Amino acid sequence: MATLPPQQDEGHHSLLPFLQSQSHTTLTRLYQRPSSCLSIFRLLRPVEKQLIMNLLWLESAIDAAKMAAWVTRENKKAYDDALHALVRVHVVPAPKDGKLALNQTFKSSFRQALTGGGTSGSFGVIFDNGEKRLPFTIEELDSYALERWETILHYMVSSGSDQKPTKPSQGVLYLLERRKLMSKFYGDTLQITSAGFQFLLHTPHAQLWDLLLQYLHMAEERQMDLVEVLGFLFMLSTMELGKEYATDHLSETQKAMLEDLRDYGLILQKKPSARRFSPTRLATTLTSSSPPLPTSAGTSSGPQEGFIVLETNYRLYAYTDNPLQTAVLNLFVSLKYRFPNLVVGSITRDSVKKALLNGITADQMISYLTTHAHPQMRKNNPLIPVTVQDQIRLWELEKNRLRSDEGYLYTSFASQADYDYVLKYAKELGVVLWESPMKRCFFGSMTGHANIRGFIERRTNANGA
Amino acid sequence: MNDPRGDHLSVVVDLSPTQWHLSALQPPANVYPLPLSSFLSQLLAFLNSHMACKHENTLAVFGALPGKSVMLYSSTNPAKNLQVMDSNSYPPFKLVDTTVVTRTAEELDALGDPDEEEPLGLVGAMTKALCYINRITLPPAQIPGKKQGISNSLVMPEPRILVLSVSPDHATSYIPIMNSIFSAQKLKVTIDVCQLYGPETVFLQQAAHLTGGSYIHLERRDALLQYLIMSFLPPPSIRKVLSVPTQDKIDFRAACFCHKTIVDVGFVCSVCLSIFCQPVPVCSTCRTKFPIKTLQRLNASRPPPNATNTTRTTTGTPVPQSASNPTTPALTQPTSTNGSSVHRPAQARSSLSQQSSM
Repeated sequence: MATLPPQQDEGHHSLLPFLQSQSHTTLTRLYQRPSSCLSIFRLLRPVEKQLIMNLLWLESAIDAAKMAAWVTRENKKAYDDALHALVRVHVVPAPKDGKLALNQTFKSSFRQALTGGGTSGSFGVIFDNGEKRLPFTIEELDSYALERWETILHYMVSSGSDQKPTKPSQGVLYLLERRKLMSKFYGDTLQITSAGFQFLLHTPHAQLWDLLLQYLHMAEERQMDLVEVLGFLFMLSTMELGKEYATDHLSETQKAMLEDLRDYGLILQKKPSARRFSPTRLATTLTSSSPPLPTSAGTSSGPQEGFIVLETNYRLYAYTDNPLQTAVLNLFVSLKYRFPNLVVGSITRDSVKKALLNGITADQMISYLTTHAHPQMRKNNPLIPVTVQDQIRLWELEKNRLRSDEGYLYTSFASQADYDYVLKYAKELGVVLWESPMKRCFFGSMTGHANIRGFIERRTNANGA
Repeated sequence: MNDPRGDHLSVVVDLSPTQWHLSALQPPANVYPLPLSSFLSQLLAFLNSHMACKHENTLAVFGALPGKSVMLYSSTNPAKNLQVMDSNSYPPFKLVDTTVVTRTAEELDALGDPDEEEPLGLVGAMTKALCYINRITLPPAQIPGKKQGISNSLVMPEPRILVLSVSPDHATSYIPIMNSIFSAQKLKVTIDVCQLYGPETVFLQQAAHLTGGSYIHLERRDALLQYLIMSFLPPPSIRKVLSVPTQDKIDFRAACFCHKTIVDVGFVCSVCLSIFCQPVPVCSTCRTKFPIKTLQRLNASRPPPNATNTTRTTTGTPVPQSASNPTTPALTQPTSTNGSSVHRPAQARSSLSQQSSM
């Protein structure tokens, strides 16, 4: 099982660690496509983008010192970080003789992306249907993407209950299982895991990339050409919504991907055998940071933005008729009434405890409430009532009353002076977890044991001699 | 990826045919000739770079033509009739490129008789850019009758205007330029200026200085794109990390209200702070009458017309009082110059103030 590497750097896109783990050759092949260069560029952080831009139109390498001269003194670290990040994805080769330049392949492809031209066809070939049949409208695409995506999420959220929601396709189920968002606890039925609960509270954008990353890892195992897979995803992200693209120019790998992506709601095809496809909003916003995902696109299901009103008395009013949103809320709110456009519930100790047991953290609950707060709530400062925030955190702390550490208990010191002397030494090492001067004993962690033992032995020997 | 909102950039392009003709002349007239066509291709690469930085970035391009100003492109309502698709280019880039090029060509063709050129509509274009920014930064909640849609996502955090100028100053446009600077300050808009051709412009220097922007007088015109990208592409937040060139000297001279000429030494009405190039008995703006005696003394203290100070700029690092007092930006400047010839009018100005305030 290829586990996902944790997000190391703040503000970094989750795809970048994956790119960093790829070989130089793979990345260079990827950089041959202008659309991939553009998409990767957009995933970078602002300072990194500016550095690439500064280097992009230079014909020869520039002195690293010259470039560093532009950096303000107090932000030297940000600059070094940015440079380092670029080196790790091989956009900038490791500086040689103090010279900085862009990867030659990246440079020429990215220039081509900005100026147009070339013959790569990496931005997708439009399907010319000769006005015979109209392409899908944007509304159709949005509702399709939304329906697909919500099917997946809804299946996850209601897997624990006795409801029987529509099942997503086998491919999606496999993906969810591999990502450990769902697993077979007993029998053949998939159950949502605690990672799955956490997943539900993420933004759609993060969810999408989470699944796509897993898809990429699986593609590696399935011996698919990663460059083709990534290149196709990036191509999708630069396509235009509401246009139809031809499948003729795709490689075999990419044609095989069409089916998977159709299941995730990234693209729409009339028939599986159709010679054209339309990217949905899920696909075209892959490299943007905003959440213009189907829910915010004005489709009927669910409100456009915040819908939650939370009062200081823990009562929660959610203006929604979307079963998915209701189901997600049900994870940590005890729902009381349901009206056609309104759900009323309250946050109780039990409901929060249940969520905590499922592995959802207090911070995740609070951040979900914050991101989906009703515009009326936005007038409040702080947005979520402090009492509620604190209480949710306190309930989480209740769970953590006991903590276990491995270590050694040091007891039966001969004299108070001995005890104080050893304790002082242990404190200097910073390994004391608990102490009791009354009982003349203290508890030290594993790491310090060797040192303390040596210390005591040396002292006993010295005294004995 | 941290900020879900995009940056807005409005570009004001000076399209004066005469100046561009002069700019395109081969050496020896220019060391680095820069015809309009090659300028446009570099500009398009720059515009695309801005659009490339973020999916949400917005862009507007305004053209300043003789006697008028037009909007060439805006990303909020791009021309929909252009359906140029090409598998080798990113659709939004293609759209910007074709729109800007065709619109520029249209406008230049429509100019007609080039013999008598009207003054350039630079201020008009700047004002349009400011109005446009004001419109898009206005939270949609304040638009009556419109449902709150994507409220916060539309508020641009750091709107900027980039002025690409090839023309010298028009002294008549002093007051309108100053007024647009004040509006820009109020809207928290940064004005960047790049003077591509011709002499330094006093007013645009002040515009960049007062709004915290960057002013560049292009020397190596063959490296235009590199200048544009390094100095004008980064939004203010990145400029804190990678610094951009700023001015080491700023020309703070103002234009007088009476003849619209740029003056080294001015006379300021003590009541309404209007600037005059010579002592006047009655302020033309606020109708304040000044005593005859003061006038005589001021006239006597004026430097002879030919002996005006040759050092026209306030070099070094002047501490512009205008920055701290934005309502009277240029008015206090004339006295802050150097040399003895300037000293006397400074006294004169104060005496005028004393006199008229009595």
